[in-house]
Amino acid sequence: MPSKVNFTIAGALRYFAIALYVLFALFPIYWLVKIAVTPDRLIYTEGTNIWPSAFTLDNFRSVLFLTDFLVYFKNSLIVSFGTAFFTTIIATAAGYAFSRFHFRGKVVVISVMLITQMFPLLMIIAPIYKIMAGLHLLDSLVGLIIVYTAFNVPFATFLMQSFFDGIPKDLEEAAMIDGCTRFQALRRVIFPLTLPGLAATLGFIFTAAWSELLFALMLINSNENMTFPVGLKTFVSKFAVDWGQMMAAGTLALIPSCLFFILIQRFLVQGLTAGAVKG
Amino acid sequence: MKNLFRTVATSAILAATLSAGAALAETKLKLVEVITSPARTETLTALVAEYEANNPDVDVEIVSLPWGEAFEKLSTMVAGGEIPDVVEMPDSWLALYAGNDLLLDLEDSIASWEHGGTLAQKTLDMGRLAGGKAYTLPYGFYLRAMFYNKKLLAEAGVANPPHTMAEFMDASAKVSALPGKSGYCLRGGGGGLNGWIMYAATMNGSNEFFTEDGKSRLNEPGSIEGIQFLMDMYQKGYAPKDSVNWGFNEIVAGFYSGTCAFLDQDPDALISVAERMDAADFAVTPMPVGPSGKAFPTIGFAGWSVFKSTEHQAEAIGLVQHLSTPASNLTWTKRVGVIPIHKGAEQDSHFATEQYKGWFDTLNGDEYTPTIMPIYLKNFGVFKELAISSSQEALLGSRTAEDLANEWADFLTKEYQDWKNTQ
Amino acid sequence: MTLALSPSPGKSREKSLKKLKWLLEPYLYLSPAIILITLVMLVPLVVGISYAFQSISLLNPFQTGWVGLANFEKLFSDRLFWKALTNTAWWTIGSLVFQFFLGLGLALLLNKPFAGRGLVQGLVFLPWAVPAFLSGLNWAWLFNPIIGPIPHWLAAIGLMDEPTNIMADPNVAMWGPIIANVWFGIPFFAITLLAALQSIPKDLYEAAAIDGASAWQSFAKITIPFLAPTIAITVMLRTIWIANFADLIYIMTGGGPANSTHIISSYIFTTAFRRLDFGYASAIAIALLVLLLAYALLIMQMRKHLVKGI
Repeated sequence: MPSKVNFTIAGALRYFAIALYVLFALFPIYWLVKIAVTPDRLIYTEGTNIWPSAFTLDNFRSVLFLTDFLVYFKNSLIVSFGTAFFTTIIATAAGYAFSRFHFRGKVVVISVMLITQMFPLLMIIAPIYKIMAGLHLLDSLVGLIIVYTAFNVPFATFLMQSFFDGIPKDLEEAAMIDGCTRFQALRRVIFPLTLPGLAATLGFIFTAAWSELLFALMLINSNENMTFPVGLKTFVSKFAVDWGQMMAAGTLALIPSCLFFILIQRFLVQGLTAGAVKG
Repeated sequence: MKNLFRTVATSAILAATLSAGAALAETKLKLVEVITSPARTETLTALVAEYEANNPDVDVEIVSLPWGEAFEKLSTMVAGGEIPDVVEMPDSWLALYAGNDLLLDLEDSIASWEHGGTLAQKTLDMGRLAGGKAYTLPYGFYLRAMFYNKKLLAEAGVANPPHTMAEFMDASAKVSALPGKSGYCLRGGGGGLNGWIMYAATMNGSNEFFTEDGKSRLNEPGSIEGIQFLMDMYQKGYAPKDSVNWGFNEIVAGFYSGTCAFLDQDPDALISVAERMDAADFAVTPMPVGPSGKAFPTIGFAGWSVFKSTEHQAEAIGLVQHLSTPASNLTWTKRVGVIPIHKGAEQDSHFATEQYKGWFDTLNGDEYTPTIMPIYLKNFGVFKELAISSSQEALLGSRTAEDLANEWADFLTKEYQDWKNTQ
Repeated sequence: MTLALSPSPGKSREKSLKKLKWLLEPYLYLSPAIILITLVMLVPLVVGISYAFQSISLLNPFQTGWVGLANFEKLFSDRLFWKALTNTAWWTIGSLVFQFFLGLGLALLLNKPFAGRGLVQGLVFLPWAVPAFLSGLNWAWLFNPIIGPIPHWLAAIGLMDEPTNIMADPNVAMWGPIIANVWFGIPFFAITLLAALQSIPKDLYEAAAIDGASAWQSFAKITIPFLAPTIAITVMLRTIWIANFADLIYIMTGGGPANSTHIISSYIFTTAFRRLDFGYASAIAIALLVLLLAYALLIMQMRKHLVKGI
């Protein structure tokens, strides 16, 4: 049957394309891991080899047991989850407001949110530092969560807004006519439909907070509160870059992100059931 | 009820007094290190622990900034009002911080210090470079000398390390003839200014930056020859093509990976190189001399400074003094890779090796005059920055050595005039 | 957070309360966001913008001297500013175009279930999880002929005469960071577009198939309009981020060689922290801000046109 043949060719092409994407995404990461398992003396001489001639887990051992990386990971996890959680809640509310309401000052609020994304953070680090110092939130994970949330809310809001825009207004209006308050309608009817959007937002905010360097560097002083990207920087001294350990730490840090994505991807691709739109 | 109130009140007052008392007993100092590496932090922590042991009611918190972001972070901290007590002060930052009246004058503390007398004269000279007073107590010197790869030189048929600039170019050419190897690890990217200045001065026969009338000597014919020397090195292929972008890490890595045979650097590079190369494979010789028979390796320093805003001046000064005693200084400089600040340091067995020979020969030889960069110029940092892209343009062939020299000379002349006007 | 009110006596009072509730409702949903951003970002932002009108000393940024528009006048004659602006355009467009289309392709591929989709998703999203500076160092490594494979491959397939580092050549140096940025940014578009694709009701496609629509027609008439809001937002935001994102460039090339990869954002950084001129840096930042705002307005307008269908 001709259609079956077509289908298989198309299917094969699809798999091939997906394989290419995976290869492109993974190759640099493979390289990262390769450097992490290469012994120090071979890192430069065997640089171009695809496969190292000798393996070592020493770098991983040092990172885990001889440095404070476990502390850094813990801090990063706390900050990332905290930020993702708060940002998503605040952004969902705000995104919903942008999507459903017309109100005075809407343009102003949107513009302000946009502008916070456009101005280089480096320029405003000093005032932010002073504010945080005044609030006694320097060198604290709470302070970092607050700053990260503030910075990520605009993006998350716009993202959630676009997802809400994709859901017809009649749905909650129908629910409200049936007697729910708007908030109840939001929770019961709309919320399940936005799960893919929520998952995407959570995923982004988590990784944004996970790999953020600038604020963590400036606002955190002590070792106990350091997050892992700043920790990575300690491998870069003025005199040398400790490639092996740095790549080992980087590899280890990918694991939580990877797990998180695998966790949320279930919600990401939760399809809409056809019946939702109809009464 | 009345009893309860009295009890609560008394305990509250008691608690307050006790905590206040405890706070009085403990002085907290914040020490910020900016040139950070695990080895340095370890050594610093040990030295600080000694100080704390001698001064039981002082508690020192060490904040370690990664060098790549240290300047931004420290300036943000200062701008934001969180000013540390003691800070590690690289020479290039001194003019900025001292010029903004942020640092404490340490002259009296040095004069009244028991170890002040054994400080080498250079130490005091350097410490006074900004504003004429000792706003920093240097802990060691960075001095340029030439690392060379003995194996590569042997392979290329170069019998001895080069003594003159001509020999240097020649040796580089021979090594570059070997497949996949280059002669000189050129620092074309960030921080490479010292190289240009050194070679310009060496070919010009003088390390004076300015004539008596205040004009920069950087575009005199001899200096231009020196600038052309580096351009030739790159354009003739005696340095790796990639080196136009190379910074510190890349040139050191280029050397210890055996990609290029010559590296001009300070003793701190020795630490990285020694970890990754066999001591038998490399050695250090003084910088090559120019037509006048002289060479002008650059010398820099880093030291400890106290911020004026400190609430515990005596303790902060005490900490700096402790870190700078001959014993502490030897410990520190050995781990850190700088030349110690007290007289007689080269007697120590650690410094009496073939590798350190390059630097001590430089210090003790007549042909070599250590050259201090004009860090007292207010916009010297700006100059360093613009030198990067302009020198890259020259290396890549889009401008001539003369053009480059003129641009630099004009900038420096103006800066010098500005500086003279404030004297 | 509901404002459920029991009916009160007096119809007019009930009406005005209801009106108040209706007026306030959006603000209630918005208030956490507004409060947070105002406290933490708005005040510093205003301070940062005010730098442009002052002559600021790095270490005493709160003691200043007003210089009016002097910093802005400098902009017009600054050769490096215009070069950085051109570079920014190349950098942003180059990165965006590849990221977007490759990301869209990936989202379309992942839209239909297949064996192992979950795992594949977890894997292709990894690049986004690598911190920018680590990814920059990694790619710099990959492009370095001494220790990385890419120059050798490029030479092998004939794109290069001999393995050299493309970042040493001012004409092509920008491609290094662009490729790193594309690698980094594909997951962004892939995830967001995938989530949007998943929200499109399946029955629409079924209905279209029944009506005899071709794959392309389904794509153009159903997929694109539904995706339009998400595309508009993601493209707009990502462009703004990329324009401000100098980390990869700074790490891989330092802005060189010879300023060929300096973009506005890295120029701002060197002006602020190397030339110690915060005032001028802020003026440059405002110039970029104005351009980006104009761009955002444009996208919003385009979005209105695309969404009209829904």
